[in-house]
Parts: sequence; structure tokens; C-alpha cells
Amino acid sequence: MTKLIHTPIKRRQFLAGAGTAALVTGFPAVLRAQEPEAIRLGLVHPVTGFIAFSGTQCRAGAEMAIADINAAGGIKSMNGAKLEAMLADSQGRPELGASETARLIEAGATGIIAGYSSAISLATSQEAAKTMTPHIVDVGVADNIMERNLENTFRFAPGFGSVSRSAVEALKAINAGGEAKTAVIIHEESLFGTGTAELLAKELPGIGIEVLEVIKHANPTRDFTNIALQLRSLQPDLIIPANYYNEYVLLARTLRQQRIAAKGIYSVLGGAASNVQFVKEFPDAAENIMDCNHWYDPNSEVAVQRRAAAEEKGLFYTYEIFLAYNAVAFLADAIERAGSTENEAIIEALNASTWDNHGMPYGPTKIENGQNTGAQAVNTQVQGGEIQVVLPEEFASAEVIFPVPA
Amino acid sequence: MVNSKQLVALLVIFGLIATCPFWIASAPTLNTVIAILYIALLGQAWNILGGYGGQFSFGHAAFFGTGAYTVAVLQIQFGINPWLGMVAGGLFAMGVALFVGFASFRYGLRGSYFALVTLAFAEVLRILSNSVGFTGGGVGILIPLERDIANMQFANNRGYFWLIWTLCLACFLTVWWLGRSRFGAWLMAVRDNEDAARALGVDVFKTKMGAVALSGFFSGLAGVFYAQFYLYLDPLIAYGSAISIESLLVPIIGGMGTLFGPLIGAAVIHTLSEVTRHNIGDVPGVALSIYGVLLILIVMFLPRGLISIFSVARRAISKRRTADA
Repeated sequence: MTKLIHTPIKRRQFLAGAGTAALVTGFPAVLRAQEPEAIRLGLVHPVTGFIAFSGTQCRAGAEMAIADINAAGGIKSMNGAKLEAMLADSQGRPELGASETARLIEAGATGIIAGYSSAISLATSQEAAKTMTPHIVDVGVADNIMERNLENTFRFAPGFGSVSRSAVEALKAINAGGEAKTAVIIHEESLFGTGTAELLAKELPGIGIEVLEVIKHANPTRDFTNIALQLRSLQPDLIIPANYYNEYVLLARTLRQQRIAAKGIYSVLGGAASNVQFVKEFPDAAENIMDCNHWYDPNSEVAVQRRAAAEEKGLFYTYEIFLAYNAVAFLADAIERAGSTENEAIIEALNASTWDNHGMPYGPTKIENGQNTGAQAVNTQVQGGEIQVVLPEEFASAEVIFPVPA
Repeated sequence: MVNSKQLVALLVIFGLIATCPFWIASAPTLNTVIAILYIALLGQAWNILGGYGGQFSFGHAAFFGTGAYTVAVLQIQFGINPWLGMVAGGLFAMGVALFVGFASFRYGLRGSYFALVTLAFAEVLRILSNSVGFTGGGVGILIPLERDIANMQFANNRGYFWLIWTLCLACFLTVWWLGRSRFGAWLMAVRDNEDAARALGVDVFKTKMGAVALSGFFSGLAGVFYAQFYLYLDPLIAYGSAISIESLLVPIIGGMGTLFGPLIGAAVIHTLSEVTRHNIGDVPGVALSIYGVLLILIVMFLPRGLISIFSVARRAISKRRTADA
């Protein structure tokens, strides 16, 4: 039979043990108490629905920015407070975007970054305006988003008035030899495509290009054969598409299959023409396509590093990623300078922003009525399976090829 | 007797809903109540024609969008006050509904043919609104943000709550009246057996026209509310199939041809959607899938709508009482 040996714990041993245990279990709590409270940012994107790809890319870009800022020490003026993402899905519906924005604000969001599409951005910014919560429009390009004079609403990237003007000026420079005399515009039917088409149809005759036809298509459209046949009969020198990614890819592939030859395909905010995924997956259809779009400065080390980091994560480095990234970083910079999470202080800091660590061809931010007036689109062209910047010259990584070889 | 009880129940329920702004401090929660009332209005409007009249429409967006565009266009293009625009929105939507109804009922279209015609009308209006200038085409139409009661833009959500509460109550009272009126009896007779109703002397065409007019009017008012609440419209928002689906889903889930079905349907559908969205994590699409599965389960096990739970429970209680006796 085993004899039990009674070894009582002495009082001193007990006190030492209990003290050590208290220290071990309690100290992290003391440390936690000293850690500044996280600053919560609401990210409202359409991660399901018909624009889910772009919404998902936006979310990925915004989350990358938050991770990078936290890794670099968080918001230093607020004792290194970390940023925390609050995620919401608008499902591509403005009313859902608005209700999700209200929910995030009530749950403590210091700022909102939304909402990829212009229609959703209109709704989310208006909802955020009710509580004067700072709202950064990441991608939505409609000019009327910024024309409502909402004091809480800011846009880092250019609107489509500015992009279309840049597009027309660049096209004038590209077509200085007068090779292109006619064009057909093909656009999707929502705010983005229609607005762009209207502006171009008005401006192109001024630079000596006659618009033969403006062709509108629905979202989604899964067969572009009829449009290709129309193009064959019209024989324009330039084909100008303005549509979202899926339709752009289908259109470009159909043009290739139907052997529709033009002197060039020139997109404005083309959903795919400045999209790495399109170029990698359909190199033949993408080759030589020109686009006036959001793009990073290829000479910027910051931008090149960000692209490498995104690609390391297996992401296609599309404009949604770097615009959403910069929208978060732009807001974080304002919070840093404000040293506060008060709405008024952040809005004041956003208005006074001269932030330049964005890797975009913009120069330091200069805000007027919420819009970064330094923001501009650039012209890209797919050359040898790579997206090259061809205009403006100070940011160019290659020379434009026009007319494109048959 | 049943109708009087229903009226009391209706007034009590709307009375309880009316207390919401006094104890709900959270803006998103009040937003949820507003959304439920708005969807209930859409659903009840459809229920007048589909539930009480048996004419299944797949294109109620045609009426919703017309109401929404009317108030927006009148404000932007003609400077007409939105309070007047609201009446015009309802009437214009009613006009479109009468046109659709005339074109369909005059030629005896019913069942799936009527459903397809309504769907086609909504699609035609979507394409038209995309093409003509005064709707803003594909760019859409943005109502300027000028918060003032005179502009039907309220400083906070309470104003919108009272607006949709009033519209919803008016619609529900109309449906309650349908349940006790001669017109309602004709309508239900047409739904149950059109030929028998005709044989009994019911003017089937006029009855259906009356139902489509009422249904269109209230759908148009829902459109007006949407336009004033979100201040932006485009053809897909106004005439897209999502609105038509939402309009019919609510009474089907809640209980077609019943007074309270659309309210129950709206509350359950919206709450389910919110709960799944906020509690299933951030993996895109999972919340939507679970929401879809739950809807399928409801339709499978309660084909007469959620409201049938009450009659099932009542039958079970009376059976037990009989057994006890």
C-alpha cells in the first residue's frame, strides 16, 4: 500500500508563488491598459454582387494599408494607436451601403472609406455627413459626389471630369499626326460609362475626331458579337470603350476573334485596359490597348514596393488596390496630424493635407472642396505584356505606339 | 367581427411601432425599422394585386420607379415641391399601372402571361429611363441635399420614420378596407375563380383594374420615399428586377392575401438579412447563402407564409382542448 506523504506548503512559499502568478497573469493586463485604444476605420465595399471583384480588390488594398501603418508603429501622435478595420458589404446596393455606414459609425468608426462605385459612394458619404464622420471616396469617379459640398467627404483620386479632360488632351497629343479621324464609343449604361461617353462625345470633335456612333450596352452583357459587327460596318479609326472589367474583357476578346482592326483602342477608365489580370490572362487581346486611367508612378520606389508586396500576397495589383490603399493612408495621415479622433480635427487636417507618400503621379495633396486637385489620370499602353505609362512624359516608362501595327 | 378585431390589432401594432423613435436611440436600429416599414409598404402594394387579386406581377419596379422618378424629375426639372411631387408620384405610378393593367386584362392575359408582361414593362421603362435626357439617362438623377421639412428632407431619421410610418399605415388601412368591402369581395372572388365570379355578375375587368391602380399607387409612394431618403436614382435602382423581387418576396414569405403577411414578411426578411450579414463573419457571400437557405426552408415548411404559424398554433390548441374535454 502506498503511503501518502503530507508535505504542507509553507506560508512564504505560498506568498512567493501567488505573487509570481499574479505578476504573470496580471502584467499583460497592465500593459494592455497602457496600450492606446485602436482607431477603427469603416471599410464599405461591394464584396458580393455584380461588382464583387472590384469591391474585393478595394477591401484588400485598404486592409494592406492598415497592416502597413500598424507595422510601422500605428498613429504615432496618439501613442502608436493601431488602426482596426471594420468591414461591411454593400452588395453593390446604395441603400445597403448607407445602412452599413450608419451601423459602422455607431459601432465607433472614426472614418469611412467607401464605396468603389459612384452610386454607392453618393449614398455612403451622405449617410456619414449626418454625423460629420470623415468619409474618403476611394474609387467612385462621378463629379457630383464632390459637388454637393459635403464637408465630411474627400476624394484623393481624380473625378471623371478631370480624367476625361486628361484623356482628350492626351489623345490630341497621341494623334498629333492626324492618323485617327473617326471614333466609336462603346460604354456601359451606368453613371460611370454614360457620363464618360457624354463628355467624350462632346470633346472629341474639338480635336478633329468625328464620333461615328455611341453604343450603349447593359450590365451584364455576355455577347458583344453584334457590337463587333456594327464596328466592322462603321470602320472607325479609334474604338473607345468605357465599361467594367467583365464586359471590357469580353469586348476585347470579341474584337480579337472577329478581327476588327482599328488604328487603336483607347479606353477611358477602362475596366480592364489597366488591369494586370487582363494583361496576364489575355495578353493577345490586351496588346497595344491604350487607357487613360488611375495608375501609379512607375518611377516611385514607394509604389513599386507596394506592388511587389501585393503580388507577394497573390493579388493582382489593380487600380482598386492602390486607390483604396491610398484612401486609407490619406485618412491615417490626417489622423496623425490631427492627433485626435474628433471629427472636426480630422476634417480640418484633411483640408490642410499636403501628403506626398502615395506613390501616385499627383504631387502633394491639395484639397479644394474635398477634392484633391493635384490628382490626375495617366495614359498607359500594354506593350510586350506589361502595362507601361506613356503620358504625361515626366512619368512615362515607354513611348506610345500609335497607330498600332496591323 | 373578424375585421374589427383585425383593425384593432392593426392599430395596436402601428401604435407600438410608433413608439420606436421614443425609445430607440440608435440611428442604425431606427434605420432598420424604417427599412422594414418601407419593404412592408412595397410588399403590401404587391399583395393588393397578387395576394388579394391573384394577379402575380413580376414587374412592380415599373410602378416603384415611376413614383421615384416623378418626384425627382419634378423637383430637379420643374422645381415642384416634393410634397406635391409625392402625390404626383403616386398618381403617375397609378397611371402606368392602369396602362399595364389595361394592356393585359383587356386581352385576357393572366397567370404567367401577365407576370411576363409586367416584367417586360419594367424592363422597357428601365431602358427608356436610360435613354431619355430628363431622367439623367444612365448617369441618373441626384436630388440636391437641402435638409428642410419643406423639401421632404429631414434633419434626422425620425422625420423619415414618421413619413414611412404614415404611408405604410395608409396602405395597411386600405388593405384592411379591402377585406371588408364589396370591392374586396369581388377581388377575392376573381382570385379564387375568375369564371365563376363573372358568372355571378362581377365585372372582372373593372375589379382587376381597380386592384392594379391601388397597387401601383402604393408602389409609387414607396418609390417616392426611396428617392427622398437616398436622394439618388438611376435606371437600375428604380426599374431593376431587385425591386420587383423584393415586392413579391415579402408577401410570399409573410403570407399572401393576408393583412399582416407583408409586415411579418418584411420584418423577418430584413431581420434575417441583417442578422446573417452581421454575425456570419466577413467572408463574402456566406451571409447571403445562409440567408437564401433560410428563405428556402421557410417556403418549404410554411408554404402559406409565416402567418400560417398562428393558424397552425390555434388549431393545435383547440385540438388539445377537445382532447382534454
